[in-house]
Amino acid sequence: MDLVLQLLFTGIGIGAVYALVALGIVLIFRATNVVNFAQGEFSMVAAYLMVVFAVDLGWPYWLSFLLALAGMALLGVIFNLGVYYPLRHRSFLPVIIATIGASILLANSVLAIYGPQPQVLPGWFDTPGIQLGPVYLDSQYLLIIAVTVALVFFNYWFFEKTMLGKKLQATSQDKEMASLLGISVSAMIMITFIYSAVLGGLAGVLVAPVLFVSIQMGSTIALKAFAATIIGGFGDVAGAIIGGLSLGIIETFGAAYISVPYKDAFAFLALVLLLIIRPQGIFGERVAEKA
Amino acid sequence: MKPGLREDWMKLTRRDFAAGIAAGIAAPYILTSARAQGATIKIGMCAPVTGPAAESGGYAIKGAKLALDAVNKAGGVLGKQLELIVEDDQTTNPGIVLAFSKLAAQSDIVGFLGSIRSTQVHAMAPDVIKLGKPVMIGGTDPNLTHMGNQWLFRFRPNDSYSGRVIADYGVNTLAKKKWAVLHSTDAFGTAGGKALTSALEKLGAPAVLDQGYANQSQDFTPVVLAIKQSGADILGSYFTFENDLGIFARQLRQLGVNIPWVGSPSIVNITALKLAGPALYNTYGVADYAEDSSEGSKAFGKLYRDTVKVAPDNQSSWPYDAINVLAAAINKAGSTDAAKIREAILATKKFPGAEGEYNFDQNGDGLHGYNIVKNDKGNIVFDKHIEFND
Repeated sequence: MDLVLQLLFTGIGIGAVYALVALGIVLIFRATNVVNFAQGEFSMVAAYLMVVFAVDLGWPYWLSFLLALAGMALLGVIFNLGVYYPLRHRSFLPVIIATIGASILLANSVLAIYGPQPQVLPGWFDTPGIQLGPVYLDSQYLLIIAVTVALVFFNYWFFEKTMLGKKLQATSQDKEMASLLGISVSAMIMITFIYSAVLGGLAGVLVAPVLFVSIQMGSTIALKAFAATIIGGFGDVAGAIIGGLSLGIIETFGAAYISVPYKDAFAFLALVLLLIIRPQGIFGERVAEKA
Repeated sequence: MKPGLREDWMKLTRRDFAAGIAAGIAAPYILTSARAQGATIKIGMCAPVTGPAAESGGYAIKGAKLALDAVNKAGGVLGKQLELIVEDDQTTNPGIVLAFSKLAAQSDIVGFLGSIRSTQVHAMAPDVIKLGKPVMIGGTDPNLTHMGNQWLFRFRPNDSYSGRVIADYGVNTLAKKKWAVLHSTDAFGTAGGKALTSALEKLGAPAVLDQGYANQSQDFTPVVLAIKQSGADILGSYFTFENDLGIFARQLRQLGVNIPWVGSPSIVNITALKLAGPALYNTYGVADYAEDSSEGSKAFGKLYRDTVKVAPDNQSSWPYDAINVLAAAINKAGSTDAAKIREAILATKKFPGAEGEYNFDQNGDGLHGYNIVKNDKGNIVFDKHIEFND
């Protein structure tokens, strides 16, 4: 039982990281119908910004955190204007390819500026973790889980209870109708990109003390996050969270009870099985075309 | 002067004119070609300039360049200066195949430095046979020099030795018999894990856990819990990437596993020490490079520290030795002919290098022993050297 609890905690912790990145992917998909393959690089860039502010410059952690997220908001604006906006009237394929190109550009820009050395980023807390009975709770994972839970409630409130959230939803559902109702579609998409970049950055900053800061950190997480969005039901906010958590738990338990080397395979096996059994994902709605 | 003679001298036939023009056009090309072929002796190097091992790749290039400078200052090779041409292997197998093919296309490159990663050496090995020129390697999978490829020469002791040294030290010096063996599932890790478990069986202490893991894992909790459940009283490991080692080391300590740990060389390299910090304190490692193990190691250590301003490790020491041995072999061969260089490398005996004393066997292995070092609060302290004669 101790083993199960420990694995469950770790699975939820790593799953929460996937969920945070998946959330950003889903939000952009809802707003633009495009999968952003640079979402993982948002996490990586934010982690490096954190290293620059908190480690290299020695600024207070909370200030560095706010500055890193502000930097990500700016990156969201640049990304929207530079990658999505010029191609907004094209089909989804050129935009997806542009996001892949942007992800390569971001990774190599950081490599050129900061060098290839992996970096160490201290965690939020001086205490690395707490022993709760037989289970060790890593303080950074606790923080990641807490932030994910908070974001579930925040997203519900934001999208369901605020006018801005409703405008964003309206834009994602039908851009033409939203425009006819006086909603600035461009502004809504801009806000979505900013929010997604900040979410991706938040995931990066939170996970960096656990996985270290490296150029590859974003792409590794993004691949799992992408799988999480499909498991959860593409385009569904709650689905992204559940999908991410499920993925973390499946791979952790799969590694513990079946095979460690095939840990990554369990995540993608789950994905394939779900695509066969329920192609629309856990929360996805079945879409049928009229004859 | 007779008037007629001057006229004869100045008289230019159509044939002379044509020959002159042809010579004038061809001369720059001939000179350039001669200069390109003869000015330097070129050595190609595949190194990870980008990718997960880019940091250690930088150290490798610096190590090679230090040796190159020393050789050139001492008069070069066959009276010419050595020149190093580096191609990025991107820390991937396709990357190194591409890098090697780019270098191999330059016919004036006489020798090459391959990878420290066995999996990459396996990937490039078929092209090495096709090319038929000597390639110096740092990969420690024993198979690399035992699979009929006569052009691979190893500048680190292979894992059959590291496995035996880890097992010997743990069983006989630390007096531990219940082993957990953890290794990457790539070529290096699999071969290393196999060498260690085999050595443990011979010592009468078969592993209670033999656990593989995939590279670039984000979480090692299941592995740590498996070690805990196995009841092992000592851990032996073969990690390929420092990121993985750092994450594992932290989780191992956090989950309360404090058994002695003897690891492969990555456990004492600079990047791993930086990432894992105190989680690696009091661990042991087999190290092909240990600064205090010999006069050659000390001399390289001082040169590297003075020049690069970083503590030396095996990432930089083996390319340093590879360039020195290759240069000496070309001089000894008196030619850049590949077969003659090969013979000269295989004939290299008692060559003092940074990694130890090189005595090449007919398989192409230059070193036959390992050092045991301890992480003493972040400082790597030399303990002892164990040499094998078989």
